[in-house]
Amino acid sequence: MWCYEVVTITQLFDLGGDATSMLFNVIWMVVFFVFILFFNQRMQIITYQRNVEKAVDRLQAMSDKSREDIFKVVKPFNAENADIRASVNNYLEFFTIEPVSLDPFGVLGRLEHILDVRRERSMLFVSQVAPKADKHQKANIEDVIEAATAVNYIYKVIRHYLLLGKKTKSLMIFVQLDMQLPMIMKQAEAYYTAQRTFAAAKPIGDGLGPLVAAKFMVGSPKEAIAEEVVYSQVDVLGRKAYVLKAEGPGGVVGKPGEAVKQLIEKLGGKVNRVIMIDAGLKLEGENTGEVVDGVGAAIGDPGPEKFKIEDACVKYKIPLDAIICKMSLEDALTTMKKEVVESSETVYERVKQAIKERTKEGDTVIVAGIGNTMAVGQ
Amino acid sequence: MTIRFPTRASTSDQPKSNGKPRPPKYAMLSVAFAIGAIVLFLLASLIDSVQDYSMYILIIGAALLVASWGIYFFVGKPSSKKALPDERENVITVIGCKGCDKREERAFETGDFMFKELGPCAKCSGVSFIKAIYLIPTKKE
Ligand SMILES: [Zn+2]
Repeated sequence: MWCYEVVTITQLFDLGGDATSMLFNVIWMVVFFVFILFFNQRMQIITYQRNVEKAVDRLQAMSDKSREDIFKVVKPFNAENADIRASVNNYLEFFTIEPVSLDPFGVLGRLEHILDVRRERSMLFVSQVAPKADKHQKANIEDVIEAATAVNYIYKVIRHYLLLGKKTKSLMIFVQLDMQLPMIMKQAEAYYTAQRTFAAAKPIGDGLGPLVAAKFMVGSPKEAIAEEVVYSQVDVLGRKAYVLKAEGPGGVVGKPGEAVKQLIEKLGGKVNRVIMIDAGLKLEGENTGEVVDGVGAAIGDPGPEKFKIEDACVKYKIPLDAIICKMSLEDALTTMKKEVVESSETVYERVKQAIKERTKEGDTVIVAGIGNTMAVGQ
Repeated sequence: MTIRFPTRASTSDQPKSNGKPRPPKYAMLSVAFAIGAIVLFLLASLIDSVQDYSMYILIIGAALLVASWGIYFFVGKPSSKKALPDERENVITVIGCKGCDKREERAFETGDFMFKELGPCAKCSGVSFIKAIYLIPTKKE
């Protein structure tokens, strides 16, 4: 059969063997160049698009799963047979509009106001869907919903760019998306895992600050100050130390800035040093649990709390120390690692050493443990 | 020249929700085609007795390659869908005592939190409490 065909074609064109092979060579070249010239970008788009599609699939799976998890977490505290699905789905779209910063005067006050309103709405929503939960459980549910909102948001943005890229057939959109995907996926996975940690009410890496503060506070009487913050007055090496943290074991961060400010005002500015403890983002290559010293307000809030601390310290010329325990975003958001728990002991000793070296006996010190105090009591 | 490639999601605005892995038989077919193409190429260039038909063999080989490539790109969903992060974690609760140096470890239970008091100690008259809660990393980390 092969021979038959060969004969036919050669007879058809009536060419010798050399000519045939030359003809095919030419066709071969033409096909090759057509492919390279007209389809190479198409092929690149397809390759990048496949990567992005894979990522979007995965993000969607995470988003769906985290939504289901909200229902699971809320269910035991829910009124009988109440349908919360619609309201939870609605709430996942909840947005916050940042205040205008074109006129920066008072922007922090406005930002704080908006954050307060958001918090109030979030607490109200949780009270509606989980009326039977106590204060700490409600705080945890809030965190679960917040993490799910983050996963859902990332999913939607990436899907948006995927569909936009498909619509416009733009290589640029796909290339940019594909290059940022590893970082974006890492973040999404951190939020997704965080949600499971929140749902189980386990302590998270960010709880390092409250944990160290609690080590000072345990056994002493606590007093409430500012929103969801408690403090104890303890004696550390002959100094009067006011130690504060968010009120655990519910997952809250409170308003530690407001608390520090109020404490300083209450003491009439007679504070010799403020020491802040927080979890800080590590660089790649650094070890989780590394403890480092510095100065400044160690707090990662959107601005208002940090401003209050700096402002109060400047007003009374109080030196501001920071001790940070390094960890990745994932470590900070997910179950506290053994290294971090071990570091909390190091930080505790460092704080004592700082108090010993940088203050005199009889001085007054404020020690603030910053972070989410989920599953850390006092 | 406009050749329309069949892209899946152009029909709807929503990506398909059930990310089914690509059927393995397609993947095998794709690989088989590619291997077949390579074998044909080798035949065409190495075996003297088929020299006369080498051009046809090359064309068939190229067709197989294109088919293999087409299957790879257009059939089914990508197969390398990693499972979502595992929810089982090895979390330890460490129990200590304010009165003595007792130390006890157990698995984390719902409701545990650090510095939670757990009533009187079994060894002394002190109060036992949760000293620490932490994650033991799994092997792959
Ligand atoms: Zn004991």
